[in-house]
Amino acid sequence: MAKSGSYHPGVLRFAHVVLLATVLVAWQLAALAGLPQFILSPLEIGKHFFAALGTREFYEDVAASLGRSLPGFALGAALGAALGLAAGVARWFDRLLSPAVFLTYPVPKIVMLPIFMIWFGIGDLSKVLIIALACFYPVFINAYYGVRQTRTILVWSALNMGASPAQVFRRVVLPSAAPMIFAGLRVSLALSFIVMFAAEMINARSGLGHMIRVAENSLRFDLMYVSLAAIAILGYAGDRLVRLGQSRLLAWQQ
Amino acid sequence: MAAINRLLPFGFVAALLVAWEIAARSGRWSKLLFPSLSSVLNEVVAFFTSSALLMEAWVTLERALGGFALAAVVGILLGVVMGRSKFVAGLLDPLFSGTYAVPKLALFPIFIFVFGIGSLSKVALVFLECLYPIVIMTYAGARDVNRALLWSAQNMGASRAAILRRVVIPATAPFIFAGFRVAVPVAMIVVVITEMVSSADGLGYRVIYAMASLRTDRMLAVVVVIAALGYLLDKAVVLARDRLIYWEKLDTYYV
Repeated sequence: MAKSGSYHPGVLRFAHVVLLATVLVAWQLAALAGLPQFILSPLEIGKHFFAALGTREFYEDVAASLGRSLPGFALGAALGAALGLAAGVARWFDRLLSPAVFLTYPVPKIVMLPIFMIWFGIGDLSKVLIIALACFYPVFINAYYGVRQTRTILVWSALNMGASPAQVFRRVVLPSAAPMIFAGLRVSLALSFIVMFAAEMINARSGLGHMIRVAENSLRFDLMYVSLAAIAILGYAGDRLVRLGQSRLLAWQQ
Repeated sequence: MAAINRLLPFGFVAALLVAWEIAARSGRWSKLLFPSLSSVLNEVVAFFTSSALLMEAWVTLERALGGFALAAVVGILLGVVMGRSKFVAGLLDPLFSGTYAVPKLALFPIFIFVFGIGSLSKVALVFLECLYPIVIMTYAGARDVNRALLWSAQNMGASRAAILRRVVIPATAPFIFAGFRVAVPVAMIVVVITEMVSSADGLGYRVIYAMASLRTDRMLAVVVVIAALGYLLDKAVVLARDRLIYWEKLDTYYV
């Protein structure tokens, strides 16, 4: 809150509470006055969400969704970090791979889903792989530039002090690329949830995306909001976890 | 050696394509799995010669650019105000950073009920998803405008409006374009997803339609078109950036 400068943190916190309360109260009042059927009031959403927490189906859908997004994220991020670091370090590998990566970067990877479904079946494998593909890019690009922006003076001094190339990589290049890699991981994790949700909305028999499609088709607005709340909480919690991991691992940065 | 190095990436891509063509022609896999490149190319040509299909591309482009343009206007406004007013920043920054990682896509079914199944719900979702990178980047830029520049402008008697126009906006411009660079691919992703999920037109719908009619070659052709569109839009942003912000060179991919 240091950036808030002249404003006392208490003033801002008060303003936040007021803003949030105003929105919620206005929303609730509007619902009482009669909103369309598809807009539930905050109290109703809360009620339905807590009711869903007591059902087994809810956890099955959450587990199915996480079972697709997390392996996809792990695979894509691991490949992205490994290949991005390699391309940042080794020039021949950079020449080989980077043009193809940068050329295909602005392409929406989700369009490959139907092809993946034909190649790898309509089960979980095609979804995991499309999530991995989408997660690969931000981590690759960040790892690549993380290595590239390592200060040469640090590398020289390490070499001067007799460090082997492996040591330079582990002690100098990797730590200086780490913050960028974490920035890439944050983007990728958010992306993994988006792609997972999209893939499940397009074609799945379980998961939160499937749940919201079923709810939409059967006009079960309560389930729609349950799915929405669940994915919102997952996305938020995942992001917090990555940031926590970053502040633990890169404590020297702060 | 230098020539070999320069040709290496092309050789890599060419090798992949040749491997594809060989796999497709070997007859080991069905045409449904690996349509030959020549048949995909045929479909691409068919795409560009059919005005109905070109209209689909236009529909997609319109939705993507419409949502993006709205997000750009609102996002720059919000970002600059946040960067210049600590109170507004303190109020809105937690909102944006808190909901940044939440997949806004999950709102789409509700948007369909609110805005209808046509273009409006898709444009609204594109707007929402594009807003985040633009606001966050613009805010970062507007917040860190060089103090010395602001002070000298004030000292020379510039009005607040003049300072905004002559100092704050130019200093923020590179950041705004960095936000655009992130937002444009996002716009394409969101449009294509929403068209794949629920639509009766647009390129995303065409992908699903081609798959449902078991025409893998046609589907790949549409994918090629979408990829080309995404690539060209990104290039257009870079081109506009280099024209408008000629005083700063683009040296990394992101900023």
